[in-house]
Amino acid sequence: MKTLRQLLSSYVSRRIGMSLVTMVLVSITVFLGVRAMPGDTAQALAGEQTSPEVLAAIRSEYGLDDNIAVQYWRYVSNAVTGDFGTSARTGLPVLDSITQALPITLELAALSLLMAVVVGIGAGVMAAVRRGKPEEWLANGIALLGMSVPSFWLGIVLVLVFAIAMPVFAASGFVPFSTDPLENLRRLVLPAVVLGSGLAAVVMRQTRAAMIDAMSSDYVRTARAKGLAPAAVIGRHGLRNSLVTVITVLGLQLGHLISGAVVTEQVFVLPGFGKLTIDAVFTRDYAMVQGVVLFTSAAYILINLLVDFLYSVVDPRIRLGGSR
Amino acid sequence: MRRIPAALSVAALLAITTACSSLSPPGKETTAQARLTDLRPVRDGGTVTIGLKSDPDRLDPSLTTTLVARTVFTSMCEQLYDVDQQNKFVPQLAASLPKITDGGRTFTFDVRKDARFSDGARLDARAVKTSLDRHLHLRGSGRASEIDSVQKVTAVGPYTVRLSLSHPDVPLLGRLANTAGLIMSPKALKTYGADFATHPSCVGPFKYEKRVVGDRIELAKDPLYYDADKVHLDHVIYKTITDGNIRMANIRSGDVQIGDQMGPVEVRNSMGEKDLQLLNTPSLGYMALTLNVGNSHGIDKAPSPVDSPFGRDVRVREAFDLSLDRALINKLVFQGMYEPACGPVPPGTPLSTPVTCPKRDVAKAERLLKAAGVKTPVPLELMINTTPEDSRLGQVVQAMAADAGFDVRLRPTEFATGLTRTLAGDFQARTGGWGGQPDPAGNIDSLVGTTGSNNQGKLSDPEIDRLIVEGRSTSDVAERREIYRRLTVAINKQHGVIYLYRNINYVSASQDVSGIKLSGDGLIRVKEAGYTKGSR
Repeated sequence: MKTLRQLLSSYVSRRIGMSLVTMVLVSITVFLGVRAMPGDTAQALAGEQTSPEVLAAIRSEYGLDDNIAVQYWRYVSNAVTGDFGTSARTGLPVLDSITQALPITLELAALSLLMAVVVGIGAGVMAAVRRGKPEEWLANGIALLGMSVPSFWLGIVLVLVFAIAMPVFAASGFVPFSTDPLENLRRLVLPAVVLGSGLAAVVMRQTRAAMIDAMSSDYVRTARAKGLAPAAVIGRHGLRNSLVTVITVLGLQLGHLISGAVVTEQVFVLPGFGKLTIDAVFTRDYAMVQGVVLFTSAAYILINLLVDFLYSVVDPRIRLGGSR
Repeated sequence: MRRIPAALSVAALLAITTACSSLSPPGKETTAQARLTDLRPVRDGGTVTIGLKSDPDRLDPSLTTTLVARTVFTSMCEQLYDVDQQNKFVPQLAASLPKITDGGRTFTFDVRKDARFSDGARLDARAVKTSLDRHLHLRGSGRASEIDSVQKVTAVGPYTVRLSLSHPDVPLLGRLANTAGLIMSPKALKTYGADFATHPSCVGPFKYEKRVVGDRIELAKDPLYYDADKVHLDHVIYKTITDGNIRMANIRSGDVQIGDQMGPVEVRNSMGEKDLQLLNTPSLGYMALTLNVGNSHGIDKAPSPVDSPFGRDVRVREAFDLSLDRALINKLVFQGMYEPACGPVPPGTPLSTPVTCPKRDVAKAERLLKAAGVKTPVPLELMINTTPEDSRLGQVVQAMAADAGFDVRLRPTEFATGLTRTLAGDFQARTGGWGGQPDPAGNIDSLVGTTGSNNQGKLSDPEIDRLIVEGRSTSDVAERREIYRRLTVAINKQHGVIYLYRNINYVSASQDVSGIKLSGDGLIRVKEAGYTKGSR
């Protein structure tokens, strides 16, 4: 009979091993995928007004004329030492660009997530508790709006209203929290609202459904029969048991937040991960595309691991390795 | 009978697609007079943020390939020569215009004696030689082909440089007034070599401080600059904002003070706003339709007639040209904010002559197609970029050409893919633009000369080739003007490149800022810019 520590150790090792295999597969897929894109990289970098000699030099400098297996091996060997190459477009190290962009996207994602959790869970609980009442209709209506409105449009409208007509927030740009906390928030609130609104809507609907399910279960009826206060019934029994579903959704959505902030970052001119990715793809900047995809993949994998661990914390019925 | 319905249907379609973005009725066909600067007095200090349309590539004069990088260089890297607001060449780091001797084979000039690079190194003849040699010989240099007539650069005195050319090359001066004339600090080149872009150092009103890729490039006033007394701003920030609407929103909100390369729709929408001002100058380049006439096997191969009605018979190409109405294209696609064009030489330059664009003539186009004996409708696949503007342009061309008997199919293609196909000769026609140079040779030689490296349709005509050589080796301005007039006629006679319109470089700016200068090349100069006295 294995002890809990042994189970945990075997589970963690297995998950980390699987994660590494996934990362290798991702790196191969991205490497081949980027090279399968139509259009010549050297030409895309050099533009139309160039000569064959310049193209040859670019191919040679970035090893684009080598065998693809050689290119992949060179890339992986360097990557494991922390060298993700040099951007063919700007001539700057890929890792520098990623480390500049990543904190911005992470902060934006964290703020959006916070907004989604507070608004989404709050509205979801309210809609479930006040079923059939105007509050539920209001929450459902807002959720539908949050999921339907395109983020690009919402972003422009928020800029027009809150940055131009009433200049409370900034229209664009980023100031690090360490430099000026207030200015940092002034610049991130609008993008966080745009990015978080869709997620808040999803969280609200999931919370509402899970809460309705939980509130009609036997243990809640028992809690009520025992004379527990309504707030305790809702919070301790209803909400806690609904959180597994919500955490799953949040975990999946957090990955989307990190990789999917593309549109929001374009609208609010935030030099984050999404913007970096788009610029890299359009200029066929192989090294940069590979770098951002690998980092995003690593983030997804890490988040999934954390979500799995959180399950067992929130719901004691779930045991490591799926055993009960 | 078919002409009016087609034009009307296009007008209706475009009215629908543009109605949401503009409350203004369509204006006159071309915009107001060029406005190149604003001379209100300014105070010292402050930071100006300039919104750029795209992120510059390497901040290395030898390796850069983008126009937007040159926009940044205007603030931190001066050139040997510059273009003034009348499109004339003027000395910048050179002390005077070059003395051209030896039948056009030797350029000799002095450089300024009072200039220092931002890292403290002194500008002298050796520094110029170091930069020009790097432009010529650095692996991957984008400048090498631009100044390949230069065989040897010699520092003949402490401040005197001699360029020995392999053949007479009068347009070389124009290229020294462009990226090839940018001079880098020899000290920085020695320290950073091919990584100069990470620590660029030149002579300029502002010096490089920091770059965040995809976001911003920060410059600070350079106290070592020879003309520092005229510089008012403390900092200049170049910020990449790719979407024109968002660039405009940032100017309105005050986060950005100057917006570069604004599009017709945004400009039209902002006209009359009291907090904004508009500067504009006609582009030195052009936008055109390139027909594949002889690019059967790739751009690096000899011309070989394309087996299509367009490749076989010039009358078919002429008919296609005659089916288009340039003024209507400008009105429908660009809200009348650009200028119709029908030649490669930009008007307003010393070597241009007035050109009257041909009128649309569908009846003649139909007669030409009949005479050519082709079966109508003549099919043509037109490759366009994946931008809303190009999409509208394609639709208008499609409708107009249909009236004359052409069946144009549009093929929206992403930039890099389109470029690869074009170079391989895998296209029938494409839309495309050329940034332009003040010397007309830069708009012609490589684009329509038989051996031209950018001759995408592989047009080949002995008369054009002969006139190109004459234009390069003639230094007399009046004679050159006549050569380029004849060249324009010869190129248009081939109908391989159908010039359609000329952009106008629009710069929107906050009223708080003054002293911005636009030159003929359309680049923003903020050397003497600043906040107006009394502004925030």
